[in-house]
Amino acid sequence: MAWYNTTGQSADTVISSRVRLARNINGYPFVSRLDANGANEIIEKVSIPLDASGFRKINFADLSPIMATSYVERHYVSPEFATKESPHALFLMEQQGIAVMVCEEDHLRIQSILPGLALEEAYKNASNTEKRLDEDFDFSYSEQLGYLTHCPTNLGTGMRASVMMFLPALTRAGYMNSLANQLSKLGLTVRGLFGEGSGTAGYMYQISNQITLGITEEETLKKMNDAIRQISESEQKARKAITGDALERLSDHILRSEGILKYAYMISSSEFIKLFADVRFGIALGIVSNITYEQLGTLLVEAMPATLTLSSENTPKGESARDKLRAQKIQNILNKK
Amino acid sequence: MLCEKCKKRTATVFYNENINGKTRAYSLCGECAAKLREKGDLQDITSMIGTFADPFSELHDNLFGGFFGLPTQMSVPAEKKCGTCGCSYSDIARDGRVGCAECYTVFSNELSRMIQSVHGTTTHTGKIPARHRAQQERARKLENLKKSMKDAITNEDFERAAALRDEIRQMESEGTKKEEE
Repeated sequence: MAWYNTTGQSADTVISSRVRLARNINGYPFVSRLDANGANEIIEKVSIPLDASGFRKINFADLSPIMATSYVERHYVSPEFATKESPHALFLMEQQGIAVMVCEEDHLRIQSILPGLALEEAYKNASNTEKRLDEDFDFSYSEQLGYLTHCPTNLGTGMRASVMMFLPALTRAGYMNSLANQLSKLGLTVRGLFGEGSGTAGYMYQISNQITLGITEEETLKKMNDAIRQISESEQKARKAITGDALERLSDHILRSEGILKYAYMISSSEFIKLFADVRFGIALGIVSNITYEQLGTLLVEAMPATLTLSSENTPKGESARDKLRAQKIQNILNKK
Repeated sequence: MLCEKCKKRTATVFYNENINGKTRAYSLCGECAAKLREKGDLQDITSMIGTFADPFSELHDNLFGGFFGLPTQMSVPAEKKCGTCGCSYSDIARDGRVGCAECYTVFSNELSRMIQSVHGTTTHTGKIPARHRAQQERARKLENLKKSMKDAITNEDFERAAALRDEIRQMESEGTKKEEE
């Protein structure tokens, strides 16, 4: 089971938690000034302890663009990593949700992604992998600035903790801008996922820490946890505030979306995100009862363009064929009990 | 190559200026460069290549009249570069990223304001890598031993001072051995 096939704590408002640690190895320039030999050398060196720890190595230089994109869709690598030209590799332990990107922006980006609100556990996972690598490598570090990173915004702990939240009621009530302002005062940021412009199509947001220097890992996790709990409470309150005619109309809208998701012949990826969000909201409100968060989570990866195309024996030709395949895929997964 | 300003002496100072992304290379003799430096138009002598002090520079200046000078707004200090990766501060400002770990030491002054504005501090309080942890703890212990030895001498406890001195010596020689390894 991967992170997206399961649900964790606070599933009503939290989709996943991720912690990543940025590390660089002494004796090599940072990635933008690293030549192919240096990059290959780092990949080779880290593969020794990572292989021994049970990681699977995926050499991105040999990967087709569609395969590389499918790792982006599973949230194991960044879009920048997938399209890089210089040597770079991913080391993955999918069951445990641990991924190490080698030669992304930093030499090493050690990350753990888990379902629901599980920042401590994600930190523990990333930290254990980091500890194993710390035995073999001299990480770039200074007493004053902490872990030295390619971009000064990651100095200090090099840690970015982020939580993917599902906030339909706060979005619909127009609270997201004021929430973003409040979070920025706490040194946290909010970024909309999916949908262009406002980024609110899927009601999904990534909340993460902005500051990494002068704060310990534990303090960051506590600050994030406190913020996530408060946001979850506000979201729950906003959901309860939907009553009367507004709730009737919303129920109608959600059930129509459920109908399209279950029976449409073709579904585009942008339409899917909207339907996904409506139905997920419906489960939380008790309006949709025969679809689970696990099924939707699986769809959030498997209905994405690259992963969808790879899952088919015959590569769909053109957008219509892909949209038809998506509708079939969705219905297959929703019919599995 | 002759100095491009006086066109008489051999150019021994070479530097690049970068104004709004436009770069221009200058080749100057020691005297002309020194004069520029005095005027504050060439501040950072350490980053220049091939500078030679000339005891007669002032005499030259007197003989050849006042310095022609570059217009102030056109002149910038020679760009300092990181000896390890060759990155300059304008590279960092353009990319928003440093070239290597050493850049943080080389450009510590330039970067500290930026780091302060991003993080609100410039001091790490989080996790320490294992190998640094041992070093930091060792340094702290050595410091304490030295302090105790001084106290022992002040208190005329010479026996204890001698024991502490031996301990310090042993720690220091162990440290040297480790470094040699």
